[in-house]
Amino acid sequence: MRVILETKKRIKPFLPVEAESIIPRNFLKGTDLTVYEGNKERALSELFWIFVEGTAVSPDKVEIVLKGDTARIKRVGEYMDTGAIRIVGNIGMHCGNFMSGGLIEIGGNADAWLGREMLDGSIVCHGDAGHYCASGYRGEKHGMKGGRVEVMGNAGDFCAEYLTGGDVYIHGSCGDMAGVEMKGGQLVIGGDAIRPCGNMKNGTCVILGRVHKMIPTFEKTERRVLPEWNITADVFKGDVANRGKGTLMIKIPELIQ
Amino acid sequence: MIIKDVVCPFCGCLCDDLDVEVDGQKIVKVQNGCTLAESTFTGSNRLPAPIRRTASGWEAISYDDAIRDAVDILLSADRPLLYGWSSTHGETQSFGVHIAELIGGVIDNTSTVCHGPSILAIQEVGHPGCTLGQVKNRADVIVYWGCNPTEAHPRHMSRYTTFATGFFVPEAQRGRTVIVVDTRRTESAEIADEFIRIKRGGDYEVLSALRAIVRGKCEVLPREVAGVSREQLVRIAEICKKAKFGAIFFGLGLTMSAGKYKNVRNAIELTDELNRHTKFTISPLRGHANVYGSNEVFTWITGYPYAVDFARGIAFYNPGETTAVDILRRGECDAALIVASDPGAHFPHSAAAHLAKIPTILIDPHQTATTPLCRLQIPCTMAGIDAEGTAYRMDGVPIRYKKIIESSYPDDADLLRQIHDRIMEAKRA
Amino acid sequence: MTELLVKNACVFDPLNGISMEMMDISIRDGRVVESVSATADVIDAHGCLTLPGGIDSHSHVCGTKVNFGRYMSPEDMRAGRTARRGKMHITSGYYVPTTYGNSYRYSTMGYTTVLEGAMAPLEARHTHEEFTATPHQDMMANTLFDGNWAIMEAVQKRDTRRAAAIVAWMLSAVKGYSIKLTNPGGTEAWGWGEDLTSIHELVPNFNVTPAEIITTMIAANELLHLPHSVHLHCNNLGKPGNYETTLETFDLVPDRNNGRQTLYATHVQFHAYGGTTWRNINSKAEEITRSVNAKPQIVMDMGQIMFGRTMTMTADGPMEFNLYCLHHNKWSNHDVELETASGIIPVLYSKKSLVNCVMWAIGLELALLTKNPYQCLLATDNPNGAPFVKYPEIIGLLMSKRYRDEEFATLHEGTGQRTVISSIDREMDWNEVAIMTRAGQAKALGIIPQGKGHLGVGAEADIAIYPIRCRDVDPSTEYRKVIEGFQKTMYTIKRGRIIARDGEVIVEGANSTFWVNPSVPEEISVASDPEFVKKFEEYYTVRMGNYPVQDVYLPRGKCIRTEAVL
Repeated sequence: MRVILETKKRIKPFLPVEAESIIPRNFLKGTDLTVYEGNKERALSELFWIFVEGTAVSPDKVEIVLKGDTARIKRVGEYMDTGAIRIVGNIGMHCGNFMSGGLIEIGGNADAWLGREMLDGSIVCHGDAGHYCASGYRGEKHGMKGGRVEVMGNAGDFCAEYLTGGDVYIHGSCGDMAGVEMKGGQLVIGGDAIRPCGNMKNGTCVILGRVHKMIPTFEKTERRVLPEWNITADVFKGDVANRGKGTLMIKIPELIQ
Repeated sequence: MIIKDVVCPFCGCLCDDLDVEVDGQKIVKVQNGCTLAESTFTGSNRLPAPIRRTASGWEAISYDDAIRDAVDILLSADRPLLYGWSSTHGETQSFGVHIAELIGGVIDNTSTVCHGPSILAIQEVGHPGCTLGQVKNRADVIVYWGCNPTEAHPRHMSRYTTFATGFFVPEAQRGRTVIVVDTRRTESAEIADEFIRIKRGGDYEVLSALRAIVRGKCEVLPREVAGVSREQLVRIAEICKKAKFGAIFFGLGLTMSAGKYKNVRNAIELTDELNRHTKFTISPLRGHANVYGSNEVFTWITGYPYAVDFARGIAFYNPGETTAVDILRRGECDAALIVASDPGAHFPHSAAAHLAKIPTILIDPHQTATTPLCRLQIPCTMAGIDAEGTAYRMDGVPIRYKKIIESSYPDDADLLRQIHDRIMEAKRA
Repeated sequence: MTELLVKNACVFDPLNGISMEMMDISIRDGRVVESVSATADVIDAHGCLTLPGGIDSHSHVCGTKVNFGRYMSPEDMRAGRTARRGKMHITSGYYVPTTYGNSYRYSTMGYTTVLEGAMAPLEARHTHEEFTATPHQDMMANTLFDGNWAIMEAVQKRDTRRAAAIVAWMLSAVKGYSIKLTNPGGTEAWGWGEDLTSIHELVPNFNVTPAEIITTMIAANELLHLPHSVHLHCNNLGKPGNYETTLETFDLVPDRNNGRQTLYATHVQFHAYGGTTWRNINSKAEEITRSVNAKPQIVMDMGQIMFGRTMTMTADGPMEFNLYCLHHNKWSNHDVELETASGIIPVLYSKKSLVNCVMWAIGLELALLTKNPYQCLLATDNPNGAPFVKYPEIIGLLMSKRYRDEEFATLHEGTGQRTVISSIDREMDWNEVAIMTRAGQAKALGIIPQGKGHLGVGAEADIAIYPIRCRDVDPSTEYRKVIEGFQKTMYTIKRGRIIARDGEVIVEGANSTFWVNPSVPEEISVASDPEFVKKFEEYYTVRMGNYPVQDVYLPRGKCIRTEAVL
């Protein structure tokens, strides 16, 4: 079954919309869902043109397509456990929070907190991701615990903060402090990074581009060939300041102090 | 008449030993206070009556009309923002929260441009702190990191730290070692025993390095970290480890340089590490006199210290999303109520500019840089001068502001109570 | 004049010797009266369990360190959020709820009076502000004196009258209710990052021992005729082998009061450990209860832990730091000049941890092995042992051996060797539960004269009606019904007003704060002693004139005056 949601023109298009009801499972029961625009509750049909193609007996066969001006639509895919969501353009904050299964594919850019506290499933963003991509929530000890987030473009600051499990792959560059507080899982950055892996406790980070402002409390252990990335890398253990036992591997020779 | 032990409502030091001479309802002289206190008490430029913007300028209106307008604006908004709170007293702050709760708005306070990052860091690793008297009475090592108390908190050093005599530090400055860490040589650095000059943006690295040194792992470090020699870092770490009682104070140098809350977190974790060797505390130098009060009030009512969003009926907290600057920059809100603060002066231009595009109400005693941005300004009392109420000092100690003169202005708590009650009525109807 | 008639109530009122009696309760203008007119409002209790309003004699709900616990825990705040509804404000938080959260949840459980476990005098204003925002429970504050410089000076000089004069001034200045000692002397040592390991060890720089502080304060407390006794959090909390410190401390306590205990020892579970390390820690509940059973001058509360996440927060700064070193969770510390300390750190009590299982057993053992239920009250040191919403489960465990056995079977297998819980058959009955959750507290706190803890004529009409038909429920086997019943009242009545019905709070609150104003002869009063004033102004960072809590902070304060007998 495919549900196509196309945004209608809004009187106040700058108001954020919270649409945590947009998950594949919910559409098995129909399209009579509600979303919030600012502090007002609205029917899904007030904000979207809704087209339904086909039927489904189980939620894993539900695919949602979001089109139009979707950059301020938040919490799409939150707690999603199966099925697929494809966003043609950009998507708002908190896309795929607490996701535990299924696929979210974003054609454009994703705003902050993409895949926050994810447990499983897969997110692919063809554009750039904002700050806090694949991160945790304030005060929690653990962040993303499983699943896979892949960003074709760049990511903002604090990417994969508190990463606890799963895979994060940013093809482009990251902003400040990618992998900060990470304690498990794997973070791969295809481009550059600034001050990566501060306070790292465990887990693995591979950086294929250049590192700016390397944190001084990482201990170089060896130089190793990484066949899966086709590179030779300097391998660091750290963050020593935090009694960390994580592994940070940086492609040589592009290490800038 | 001289009123003794007056509480100064300007900065987070909340000095409560001022002697203020009043003549009728006029403040004549301030003793014991710093220059900031002087201008707070003796300054003028208070707006005489509520004003409303017209096509050609401003018109004076009655308090009743002003309140009615304010209520209308707030009731018809889909995403109202209630911001400020830090220069007024607790009762006003409480009403602010209850109004936001009623109208499904976002409420935020000045932590958002000041020590919000400190709060975020505390939410990750906690806050090993103490009241200022502990520092005064015990501290033999004092560290000022990324702040300039000589200019911004002029009596901090004389009342609470360096120059104060304490029970266990009777020789005051002679019994204390002062370390100042900054990117430039400030006035505060002039009185330091050790000055560490850090390359801009390098605080995080230096803090990580210090933690490693305290752990005994200095061999991992390069010769120089962010412009500071390893040698100096080792020396500083030794001073700290050998202290009987160390106290770190920090300001916007940490909270507002790259990394923000991560810088503060690192400083807290350094303090934690030092606690394995000796007694060490860390405290933020809060700016506004009662910003900590707004954190306390917001927290006991909503659970969160700032940036609280009630749009969905429950309290939601996510700095970066529910913070005033971000909401304004994204043009998300369609009405604003500004109380006891000056975002026109303190916010980035793109954020402040949005206030002019939406119906903004300002409740503030003075004409400020925010006045030109608003549609309606309602003057009120000044907490600590013509209104009394609770304020929370930078270390959490609650002190009651005194009312030292009478005025004809309404207490902003009263204004907000009226707004609150009228909104309740409208919602019942 | 407002009248209310509660019909068909199945009443337990231990202080008046009433046990499972069907009766009507007449209420006029907030008090229980003989009878009411025909125009009274009527509610029908349908034969259900009716008790005086619950009283929590040790709970951390209001003040500096509690609020610290809140704002450092956004992850807990989001776990327990409710929206605004009717008269109820939004709430947040599961183990450290917001003030309204606490108030509504206590009301839902039928609790109408709470003693805040610890208030630092310098920060009393904050506690009182939060009391006002906890609107459905009458509040009172344990006032901390454990690291008080002026007190330690008086103790060193062996000047009990001086100590009494200081207590009198402070309690009336900050509108506190009672004397609280937390790790006496230890909190001052913590000012230097140190702790004390024995009640006979000297506090650095002050040359007094915890034993001396405790005995002097007990004497001062009785001199001042305070309604509550000294309230003590013993030294060495949480350390294996600490039961010896606890027994030594209990041996110090004379019997100085006919109406109540002379010492209230709080959360004794944390103080009842044998062994020498975490590896061989075991329960010494039998030794502790043997001592208490022989000492009518001591009342304790359980300090029961329940499994799950929670927040620890106490004035015992060094203890909290030790927890940080063990578990590396986020740790906050807040030492208060010239007075006390505090620390806050989240914990997880897990069935996989043998130590935690032993702790769980000890709390229950203390209650079940204490002969007189007035001497061991139900509490979790909220939230340190568990959030107070778990009290009904604890009642279930106390009333049902079967429930205990079922829980025991899920614990770490080594628990049996370290504890005696599985061999205890005793099951508390309704009357004993009523004592452990209200009558005992009222007596221990000295608030029976205020009309609390009972339902006789003249009492304040604080009443909890639980959906439990005592005659039809066998608590020994139907413990689930017991637990559910205690979780949500049919009605919670406070001063004759129905404030909660089936979990919904239906009115705005108007609570009172109880505080004590002890008077001493002018010649020993410290406010006029130049030495006291001089030291105050020199070492504190607030002016003495600005220190006292102004009347405006207690809109409905109830002042209890006492007269010192010297």
